[in-house]
Amino acid sequence: MKSISLNAQFITKKFGGVVALRDGSLDVNSGEVLALVGANGSGKSTLAKIITGVITRDSGEIIFNSEPVVFNNPLAAHIAGVTAVYQELSLVPSMTVAENIWLAHEPLTKIGQVDNRTMVSETRKLLKLFEGTYQSTLRPNAMVDTLPPDEKQIVEILKAISRNPDVLILDEATASLDSRQVECLFSLIKEWKDQNMALIFVSHRMDEIFRIADRAVVLRNGNSVGEVKIAESSETEIVSLMVGHESGLGRAERATLNIADEIALELNDVKTDVLAGVNFSVKKGELVGIGGLRGQGQTDLLHTLFGNKRFDGQITLFGEISTANHPRDAMKKGIALVPGDRATQGLLLIRSIFENLHLPNWQAYGFPLKQKKAESDANRISKTLNMVMASLEAPVTSLSGGNAQKVVIGKWLLRDPKLLLLDDPTKGVDVGTKAEFYNLLDRLCETGTTTLFYSSDEQELIDICPRVLVMQDGFIKADLSGDSLTKANLVSTSMGAGLNATNNKAAVHGF
Amino acid sequence: MRQTTRLPSMDFKFDLREWWRNFNRKNTYVLSLVIFIVTTVAYLMLQPNAFEEGVLSRLLTSNFRTWLPVILLAIGQTFVMLSGGLDLASGSMVSLFNVIMAISITSNEEPWFNLVIVLGVVGLGLIGGFFNGFLTAYMGLQPMITTFATSFVYSGLALLILPDPWGKIPREYSSVYRITTWFGIPLSLFIIAFILIIWAVIKNRRYGHFLFAVGGKVDAAYYTGIRVTRIKISTYMISGFFSSLAAISYTLLTGSGSATSGAEMTLTSITAAILGGTSMAGGSGSLIGSVFGAIILGTIKNLISLSKMDSWYRLLVNATVIIMALASPGIINLFRRKK
Repeated sequence: MKSISLNAQFITKKFGGVVALRDGSLDVNSGEVLALVGANGSGKSTLAKIITGVITRDSGEIIFNSEPVVFNNPLAAHIAGVTAVYQELSLVPSMTVAENIWLAHEPLTKIGQVDNRTMVSETRKLLKLFEGTYQSTLRPNAMVDTLPPDEKQIVEILKAISRNPDVLILDEATASLDSRQVECLFSLIKEWKDQNMALIFVSHRMDEIFRIADRAVVLRNGNSVGEVKIAESSETEIVSLMVGHESGLGRAERATLNIADEIALELNDVKTDVLAGVNFSVKKGELVGIGGLRGQGQTDLLHTLFGNKRFDGQITLFGEISTANHPRDAMKKGIALVPGDRATQGLLLIRSIFENLHLPNWQAYGFPLKQKKAESDANRISKTLNMVMASLEAPVTSLSGGNAQKVVIGKWLLRDPKLLLLDDPTKGVDVGTKAEFYNLLDRLCETGTTTLFYSSDEQELIDICPRVLVMQDGFIKADLSGDSLTKANLVSTSMGAGLNATNNKAAVHGF
Repeated sequence: MRQTTRLPSMDFKFDLREWWRNFNRKNTYVLSLVIFIVTTVAYLMLQPNAFEEGVLSRLLTSNFRTWLPVILLAIGQTFVMLSGGLDLASGSMVSLFNVIMAISITSNEEPWFNLVIVLGVVGLGLIGGFFNGFLTAYMGLQPMITTFATSFVYSGLALLILPDPWGKIPREYSSVYRITTWFGIPLSLFIIAFILIIWAVIKNRRYGHFLFAVGGKVDAAYYTGIRVTRIKISTYMISGFFSSLAAISYTLLTGSGSATSGAEMTLTSITAAILGGTSMAGGSGSLIGSVFGAIILGTIKNLISLSKMDSWYRLLVNATVIIMALASPGIINLFRRKK
């Protein structure tokens, strides 16, 4: 049997000024499953994409079957036998299942026409690998955009496997699959392993890693920090590698004095297409962090509260049952949302800072417009937020990331929100601005503003939030506060492992 | 193929609704076919003595030789739109090539020289298309603005070469184009049929699949290992090629050259493609739809002149038909949602 080895050494990659990978190294051989693990933003996906040629590396070397190779595009990697399963990224929605699976390596007839009959029958054979785990609508001639997410993911897997790759990278391939489909995939992975394939399994789920992987390479902040044999390792060991030596020590005791006994927000079995029954309550003036891996329903939760999504269940806001089904209703109730994507959801890029600041507030300035008052208010808020800018009339695009985010926050502060929803507000924001931002959050809490703060940065949650809700698969997986709020707990509960310390779920939030 | 121990299932049940949905998705021209039939029937009813002997063939000949330039342009445009681009320079290229041929084609005693001119024009079409494709696909510039800008390069050159309409194409040449028929079917229809047959072959080759994939979701195509830039550039070259064919047929039709001859054709060809079911976003559409679209636009023009309406109504009626055609999928969705 052909033996395969892929060895990536000291890969580095910068995006603009941000270092995504400092030292990405891994090696994988035929007949084994290597798990690539790491917290949010540790560089897993970047490394996987560099190996498959989707993005090019800055430096470092990839040695494939003892020869150095350069994959400048995915085509080069495909030809060499390196293929990846992406998360629904590589399917064309307007083409059929068969066309997608065989795209760019279609079976051809003698005169070079695409052989549709063979394509369909080969697709049927491939679909049989997952037989019994999908609905009857998944067939070779079905359009991909009519399929549910799990079946799209199956097609994605079959598409990669149809190329008979030597090295297969599964990037979060199980994220949208149900348990039967995962079982099916795992038995297939074992088969492929026996057929001498080399597999790289990128996953956030500890239990899956322990079931399927032989070895694991751990990434932290763009560095490969360790390699463990799964059989000789434990969840704790891997989590501690992921977290590093920074424990929750430097955590300042945040002001929790002003928290009233009054419940500000209560969710009772709230369900949407993503949320699967969310229950929690928040007291007035409390600052609650929301953690967990990306895309586990955090953004959906915030948007649901902001009236931007239909939901089932009950949301009680300041003692009233909320019926908000439009952001306008939510704004009237004193809710503000700082959205996750500044450029498309937070700002009107072609307008000035002044106009952006007042976008949700013009009503307050009556008719005819009290321009003077509006200007003085805008000046006041820009001073409070310490915004660095040429003038209020300068275009919002002239601001740095941190200052632009201040505009997004400022426009809501002008409304004196009672409930502030923050969707990863410190993403792409410099350290100085972050510090200012944390102070601002403290001040807001002191004045009795209730805040829900989602962040993809675990350290940040630990540092500033006295209480953190961890989400997974649309559920609140854990409710951490007091002693149970440590980085190790946060990371391990995010990845579906149990709590290391006592499970705090039933306990009263310990203040 | 990897081995599996499971037994094959016999799940080949025929689902009419799924078939119909797929049929519409795959055959985006259906709506344009309906409008084509309606407008053509209306046209034949308004046209006096359409069914007398020989009249039909004459109508076919005179109409299709007029429509062919726009039909060819719409076909070229469809390739670009399928891959998710837009070519606003195609009409200006027609003007330029029309002018070049008008001043350089000599009498029919020098057939080889004239053939070289025509082949040169086809070559220029490919080069001009490559230029458009290079700027948009390789340099990553916005197709709409970029090709709008290059269109001024081509039309400016045309004006430089021939400021006032002029030109004498030998009558022998133009009459070949204008009156040749076989079995009552004009040459222009054979040309269209020939192109559609070629397309039917290409559509089922890898190139055809790549075209739809690039237009359908460009990232997906890239991850799958398709050379996206090459495919995009090739569509602009095809559009340039069809611009040259359109210019040849237009020159033969009018027998002279004018620097503004193609100016109106660009938007008409895009309208024809959209009317024929090709999506502006790319990834879905068909050549036959664009041909129907161009014919519909031509027929509406005829209908208005036949019904003795003021000619300015033409724009209004044109606009109404186009808006209705564009809105119909949305309206159908609206009704579905109500239920």
